[in-house]
This record gives sequence, C-alpha cells and structure tokens, in this order.
Amino acid sequence: MRNKWVSGLLGVLAALLIGAFIMLLQGFNPLDVYAALFQFSLGGLSPLATTAKNAVPLVLTGLSASIAFASGPVNLGQPGQFLMGALFATVGGLYIHLPPVLEVAVLVLLAMLGGALWAGLAALLRMLFNMSEFIVTLMLNMIADFFTAWAIAGPFMDKSAYSPMTPQIDPAGWLPSIGNFNTTILFMIAAVGVCWFVFNRWKAGYEWRLSGQNSLFARLGGCNIDRNFVSVMLFTGALAGLAGGLLVMAGPHRFLKGLGANYAWDGVMIAIVANNGLIATLLYGFFFSAIQTGALGMELITAVPSEISQVLQAVLVLVIVASREALNVILDRREARRRAKERAA
Amino acid sequence: MIDDVIRLENIVKVYPPSVVAVDNVSVSFRKGEIHAVVGENGAGKSTLMKVLYGLVPRDGGEIYYQDRPVHFRQAGEAIAAGIGMVHQEILLIPEYTVWQNIVLGQEPTRFLGQVDTARARRLVKQKIDEFQFNLDPDALVGEISVAARQKVEILKLLYRNVSVLILDEPTAVLTPQEIPQLFGELGRLRDDGHTILFISHRLEEVLTLSDRVTVMRRGKKIDTVDAKTTSKEELARMMVGRDVVLTSQRREHAPGEVIFETEHLSYKDGEGRQKLNDINLTVRAGEIVGVAGVEGNGQFELVNAVVGLIQPSGGTIRVQGRDITRAPILERRRLISFVPQDRGRMGASLNASILENAIMTHHSLDQNFSRWHGLLLDYAHARRFTDGLEKQFSVAMASKFNPFRSLSGGNQQKVILGRELLLDSVFVLLDQPTRGLDVGSIEYVHQQVLRMRDENRAVLLVSADLEELFLLADRIVVMHRGELVADSPVGQTSLEEVGYRMLEGRGEPR
Repeated sequence: MRNKWVSGLLGVLAALLIGAFIMLLQGFNPLDVYAALFQFSLGGLSPLATTAKNAVPLVLTGLSASIAFASGPVNLGQPGQFLMGALFATVGGLYIHLPPVLEVAVLVLLAMLGGALWAGLAALLRMLFNMSEFIVTLMLNMIADFFTAWAIAGPFMDKSAYSPMTPQIDPAGWLPSIGNFNTTILFMIAAVGVCWFVFNRWKAGYEWRLSGQNSLFARLGGCNIDRNFVSVMLFTGALAGLAGGLLVMAGPHRFLKGLGANYAWDGVMIAIVANNGLIATLLYGFFFSAIQTGALGMELITAVPSEISQVLQAVLVLVIVASREALNVILDRREARRRAKERAA
Repeated sequence: MIDDVIRLENIVKVYPPSVVAVDNVSVSFRKGEIHAVVGENGAGKSTLMKVLYGLVPRDGGEIYYQDRPVHFRQAGEAIAAGIGMVHQEILLIPEYTVWQNIVLGQEPTRFLGQVDTARARRLVKQKIDEFQFNLDPDALVGEISVAARQKVEILKLLYRNVSVLILDEPTAVLTPQEIPQLFGELGRLRDDGHTILFISHRLEEVLTLSDRVTVMRRGKKIDTVDAKTTSKEELARMMVGRDVVLTSQRREHAPGEVIFETEHLSYKDGEGRQKLNDINLTVRAGEIVGVAGVEGNGQFELVNAVVGLIQPSGGTIRVQGRDITRAPILERRRLISFVPQDRGRMGASLNASILENAIMTHHSLDQNFSRWHGLLLDYAHARRFTDGLEKQFSVAMASKFNPFRSLSGGNQQKVILGRELLLDSVFVLLDQPTRGLDVGSIEYVHQQVLRMRDENRAVLLVSADLEELFLLADRIVVMHRGELVADSPVGQTSLEEVGYRMLEGRGEPR
C-alpha cells in the first residue's frame, strides 16, 4: 500500500527530471516550463476549475477502462462509446424539451444508454459468435467515428454553420457553473463514488473482480461468467458514454467535428498507468489533465510548443509503469540481502 | 573426512523479500553413497540442491567440490564439472528418439560438423549396456513410459560423464511396479562409484534405498543419520518436530443410499479422442470411493464433466436422484463440494484476499451473505464467516485481508477444504487433495476426508497416490484409457493388483 504511493510519486519525479533533460537538449529552460505549466493548471481558482473540467472525460473513460480490465473483458471501445454517448445526448437535447433539472437527468441517462448500447453490441457478438471483444470494440470505434461524422453532417447538421456540427442543444440541458467550477465535476465525483461502491460492495462487483483475477476459479465457484461479461461491458460502456454526454453538456453544447479528440485513448492510458485502481485513476486523470491544461497556457507565455506536454505524458507513462515493479524488486532484493547477512553471521 | 566429494558450508538462501529458504546449512556428501535429503514441502531441500547445482544463486556460504571451492553460475558449469540434476518435470523432446535426446547438445561430429549418427547411437547403446538400463535407443521418447523417460534423463547426464547425480523426487511419477527397477539401477550406479543425492518425502523408500539421510526442517538441517540405524518414525519426528500418526483411524459403518451416480458417461475431446468411455460409477452416502489410475487416463475429464466444465457426449450424471448432466455450474454446486487438484488455477485466486477466496460459492448460495435483496454483499458477515473458518480448520494466517498467495500450501488447502466442507453438500469430489502438501498437512486432509465419511457424505476421491487410496477408500476403481477397468472393495484387492490394472487395463493378471 505504502509502496504504491511511493513508487507512483518517485515515478512522477523521475519522469519530470527526464522531461527537464529533454527540454534542456531542445534549448528551453525547464524551470520556466514547469512554472508555466503549474501556473496555468493549478495556480489559482480559475486554472484549477479548467483543469478539473478537463479531467472529467479523462477520468470517466479511465474508469471505464480500469473496471473493464480489472474484471476481465478487454473493452477498448471507449472512443466509440464516448462518441455514441455524446451523439445520444446531443440528439436528445435537440428534440426533448423539459425543465432544466429533468432535462439534464434525461440527457445524462441518454448518454449512458448510447455508450452502453455500443459496448453491448460487442458483448452480443461475443455471446452469439464468440467474437473477441478486443477486436470488435476496436472496429466499432471506426464505425462510431464515421457514423457520428455522417450524423452531424447529415440529418442533424446545423444548416447555418460552415463546418459539420449540430445546432446547440436546449439550454435546459446545459450544465451550469458555480463560480468558476462547472457542475460537470460533480457528475465525475458521483461516478467515482458509484464505481467504487459497485466494485467493492455489490455482489456483482465481487464476482467481476474475482473473474478478472481468475476466471476459471470464479466459474467453478458458481459465478455466471457470461452474465458478468455482459454487465461489465454495459457498465463500462455507459461510463464512456457518460463522458461524451457530459462533454457536450458542459462545453460547446453541441456535437462538432473532432469532439472526441484523444480523450478516450488518454483514458485507456490512464487506466494502465493507474494499474486499474479506481482511486488511482481519479488521481492520475487529474494529473494528466493538469499537464494538458497547463501546456495550453504555457504556449502563450513561453516559446515552448505545447507538444512538449505529449512528450512529458509519454515519459510519465513509461517511467511510472516501469518503476511500479522495479521499486518492489529493488526493495525486496535489499531486504533479502540483509536477512542473509543476519543469518550467516 | 572419508572421501567427501562435496561439502556445503553455511549455505544461506533468502528468496526476496524475506523467505529464508535455506538457513545456514552445512552438509557433506561422500563419494559412492546414496544420500537422501528429506523434509516437508518448503523445508528447503529442493532449494539447497538448486544452490549446489547453480540454478539458484546463494546469498552466503561456500561449496567445495573435490576440496576446491566452486561457484556454478548456471547448470552447464555444474554438468561440465561433473554434477548433474534430474528435475521433477521431465524435459525431453517427444518427437526425438532416445539416443537423439541423449546426445542433444553434445553430438559426436564428423570432420565437417555433421552429426555422426552411427557413432552417437553406438555411444548411447554402450552407456545403456554399461548400466543395464534396459532401454531401446531407437524408440521415440513420446511413445515410451514415464519411467523410461526418467531413465533417459539419467542417461543424458551419464553420457556427459557426471559423477554426482541429483534426483528431485524421482519416484513421484512412477507406479509401484516401476520403483524397484529404478532403485536397482541407482544401486548399480552407486557401486560404480557415483554419488547420488536424492530428494524425497516418502520415508519408506528413503530407508530402502539410501545409505545416509539428511533431514531438513524450515530451512535448517536437523541432522544427518545412517539409514541403517534409523527408523521411519524417527525420520518423521525429525521432519515435523513432533510425532505423527501415519495411519489415520477409520471407523467401520455401512454405507447408505446411492448419492452419486453416472450412467454410460462418455466424452470425446475436440479432436475426437474418446477420453471417457461408458463410465458407470456409484458412490453411496458414507462411502469413500477412490479413483486410481496413471495420470491422463480420463480422471481429469471425469472430474470436469461432474463439475460442469465440459459437456459429456453421452450418458447421465445424477446426484441425489437429480439429473445434473446439463445443469449450470451453480446448480451443481448446491449438491457438490469440490476440491480441485490445482489450487492456484482452479481452487483459488492467488492475488485475491483470503476472505474473498473463503466466501466463494457461499456468497451466492447462502442468503446470509446478501443485503438489499442480493444486490450487496454483506462484508461484515463475510468477515465473521472467514474468522469461523480460520478457527474451525485451524488456518495459520496473519490477516484475512492478505493475498491468498501469502499462505503456505497446507494452509491454502485448509481454506479451500474448509470452504467446500462448510457448503454442507451431500457429495464431495476431491481431485488429488494432498498433491504438493507436506506430511503434517496430508495427515490433516486425511482426517477431514474421513470426517466427511462419518458425516455420511458421499466422497469421490481421485488420487495418484495409491497408499493414500488404500488408507482412505472403501472401494477402489481403476481408470485406464478412459474406461473403468476394476471396481472392488478395498479389502478384496491389493496394491499390486491395482498397480497392475493401472498399467495393463483389463488384461489377464500375470
């Protein structure tokens, strides 16, 4: 437990040092870069609010990947489920008109439904034809990509716009801000809480976890592996869909081209860095959001291109994942040597 | 010092982070002796041998071979120096012939580097004759018996002219008939001047075969004694540190109604091989039926068909009159307690906590584990349940929240046994329940199995250990190539007859 925190922190520090070295090679002053990164991501209420808001899609898709991987199913369809969730929420917001609180609730549910259906399609193909969800979810990402592109350039296009996008959704479905902070953050916190509760307190969560660790044992113990597979796919699909819906409702209030960006893939990456831990996913999601948010501001006041944030992210992933095991191995070996000396004496 | 060929001095090995596997052990082996190293599982005997052989780096101590300090970094160096080891798992190429396997890596060559097959074959034949090994050098390794494969492993080392042979539990894979032959061959090797170190925990064979015995317990050497002047009881006491009863007590009582029953049970695997052929088997309440057989003769398929991992191609399985041939696994688990042979793969999740392992199956069958109409798992009840299991089956654990892998093999098996017995089912299926356990734990498992019988449950016990079957079972059936070839009460058969059926099937006895 203690080691997890120590190795995570050491990994982050090591990655920042390596990043500094790369910047020095490029002729930048790493101290300036890091100061700017910090200033525009965490240095004040307004930057903090932006970082938190940007963390929402990362954390939610990260949770989706973490829960799927920890339970066994290789759901790599977060990008597609994200887009379908966004599309469902948008279309709902265009045609359903309700009082604000109800409207928000309906759109959130629609977003989750969209993601769940898209993941459920992969689950169905697995159940009927034993097709690997690994391949199917990846392929469905492409289909979702082109399907949503068609939807916003065809049936739902805003005729007055110059590029493919939908009109704005009913303002009743816009997520309001409290001070600097957008309420989308509350949904993220609630989602983390619900995920933790389901995963650690529900009977289904117990079966998911044990199936993820040893599926044969869980099966012999009477767990219904097929039912659990389908429910994990639906649950994680809904999480990714929710991320897409919230992004629309908090931000541009419409589905515009390139909306998904890299959020979902970053989420998968965060799940891997967090070793599928739920709380770790929240923390790393926030951290990566800080780097991405800070990089945009940094570009304004320094000559450093914001792409340096991608270099930093790559280094972070490599170093954290590598150091997780390395630290344990090193500590264990040292302990073994100490013991051996004690015995031989 | 009389001809000590190998001296180990103050050897220490710690597996990271803090498992002291070998704790300051000093022992010497003489030229031309058979020296047994005995101890419970985890006593450090295998590790000690691996340290000597260079497979595991040591953390302290010195090794002297022919009075020179040596430090093998890998097995090849040990073999070159004249020390060879035969592992428990046999590592040969089944598609190659005996002589090809033996010369592999050290082939005699002609001037252009081609393998001189005629000379290689002749050299191997010479070795076979020299040690009277009774092997056909041209047989395919995939087609010869396990015992013969073991001989090939030994010959491989002799071909490389080793003078010290280390054997890791050589008899574990052999049938009772094959053991005397191996012992004869080992005896001849010793008379020829070879030193044989042999790891075992079967005390009887240790006493018949070896000249001296070193006993280890928890990484420490307890003593080295002459085989002639010691006894089975003394060795057992040294191994476990207390007296053990090697014969469990069984009470006589008449079995009740039929609980478990298969009719014409058959199974063909994906490649169309008949793995189970017309199995008719019954187990009554209060009866232990033992299934004997050389591994791979359909026992595993029988177990899998009963628990529902594979779908039989024909026949029925009934428990308490209910046809479960096609029932989902959870339905079966209401009637069947199951202890699988492979703890880490089928019996538990090693990385999950002890608690999470202890409540498996109970969590869905026992309503006390449910809250909110089965939506939530009642972790408070799960903690109480695990505490109860810990006490009732005297499991030694630091905390129930630790990973399952932190338990010793014996304690892992106690948790699994406890979990399955607490299910209170009428039928108990045990697949090699003592595999890989130490003497103390085996004794514990045996007592539990007999308790199940006294509780009037029907027990089907699959075991590769004939002595265990004869100790526990009321009836013994023998499986051979997917068929039941013998079925008789334990009083009306013998170790020899069952061993013969295991090898020859239904054929006429000699």
